[in-house]
Amino acid sequence: MTIADLASVPFERAGDLASLCARVGELADSEQPFVLLAGGTDWMVEQELRKPFAAGAEPRVIDVSRLDKLREIRLEGNVLSIGAGVTYWEMRNSPEVRAHAPLLERMARDVGAIQIQARGTLGGNLATGSPAADGVAAVAAYDAILVVQSRRGVRRIPMSELQTGYKASTREGDEIFVAVEILLPGPDARWYWRKVGTRRAQAISKVALGGVARVEAGQVVRCGLGMASVAPVTALLPRTRELFLSTKLEKIGPVQLDKAVDSDISPIDDVRSTGEYRLHVAKSVVRDFARALGARV
Amino acid sequence: MLIRLKLNGQLREVDTAPMRRLLDVLREELELTGTKEGCGEGECGTCTVLLDGEVVNACMVVIGQCDGRDVVTVEGLGSEAHLLPIQKTFVTEGGAQCGICTPGMLISAEALLRRNASPTDEQIREALAGNLCRCTGYERIVASVRAAALARSSGGAS
Repeated sequence: MTIADLASVPFERAGDLASLCARVGELADSEQPFVLLAGGTDWMVEQELRKPFAAGAEPRVIDVSRLDKLREIRLEGNVLSIGAGVTYWEMRNSPEVRAHAPLLERMARDVGAIQIQARGTLGGNLATGSPAADGVAAVAAYDAILVVQSRRGVRRIPMSELQTGYKASTREGDEIFVAVEILLPGPDARWYWRKVGTRRAQAISKVALGGVARVEAGQVVRCGLGMASVAPVTALLPRTRELFLSTKLEKIGPVQLDKAVDSDISPIDDVRSTGEYRLHVAKSVVRDFARALGARV
Repeated sequence: MLIRLKLNGQLREVDTAPMRRLLDVLREELELTGTKEGCGEGECGTCTVLLDGEVVNACMVVIGQCDGRDVVTVEGLGSEAHLLPIQKTFVTEGGAQCGICTPGMLISAEALLRRNASPTDEQIREALAGNLCRCTGYERIVASVRAAALARSSGGAS
């Protein structure tokens, strides 16, 4: 089927966040399939590949693209909160994001072309759970907290506890992503973003790496990593991160670093690349990140 | 569902299924066939329109999300008698060949010039990166945008 065949899908618009939570709770209780539609850059394209819905089995689509509550970017103390409905175009043009989370601005420039940036949202990419999502890799590098809300209240999920498998997560069926919170690492923190794809615009990554680190006297004291397109989930590279946090930069060698990456991921072949190439690129970008921090690798 | 939107500066109403693509409703009920369908999945940019001033692919926006919003298609840029500088320079600089990508190119280029009066070549290429052209090799298109920026800055905007 194609996007053009969606006309029979029922559509409704969310009025405000409280009524959306109530509606989503009701649909979850009755086990009716539903989709929250923001920019549609993931879900709409997925419909191109699927078989037509059986009669009566279409999901209800709830438009959340105009919920003001999901579109706020707020700085409170040293926590930057980005609404789940903020588009990548809004993110890259936000003075708060540019000043305090420059990795996100840089990443947002790489999310497809401007037509895609103007529609795609962090919440949408988190909800669809694609391990290729640039935005999720970048917020993972900041050790983001995902704020979800339901009629039962608000819950905060650390990025490290979100993903349980391919497109699977600890978010409950009646919970909605409402914001991403980032504990800012400070103005002297280093950040890194590299996306490797077939071309600069419009490409889904073969490998992408976001990294954030604070270095004090040659020692990494805060480190977050998020790698896209190398695992069933956004890879957080825990062993590589542990190496950075446990070893002086001058003592980190290339073999050790490659071994850590090897133990963190086992990328596969797919239409965009091969597992072998992905592993090679993954090691190269991690070394590049390490060099940017001052390691000789 | 009855959808009310501002289309090329005029209020329009259309009664249709809300999950239909903006692209189809523009071309069919609203009879604005300047917006073309290329890939139909957000890759080629041929169906680019402005939604509340931002460039979007009309093949990936459902009409239900357009209620109360402002849509500009290529027909809203300028009339035959009063072309915008970007439309004139696509003619004079050879920015259009077969023409299928041209409506989307014009929308993306005009959106760029509205937010950045003097773009660099790199900024022009980034703004047009979501609009694929299989004829020109892009050089004439970049030259057209560059010339339009000059024309606008020297008071050539109509």
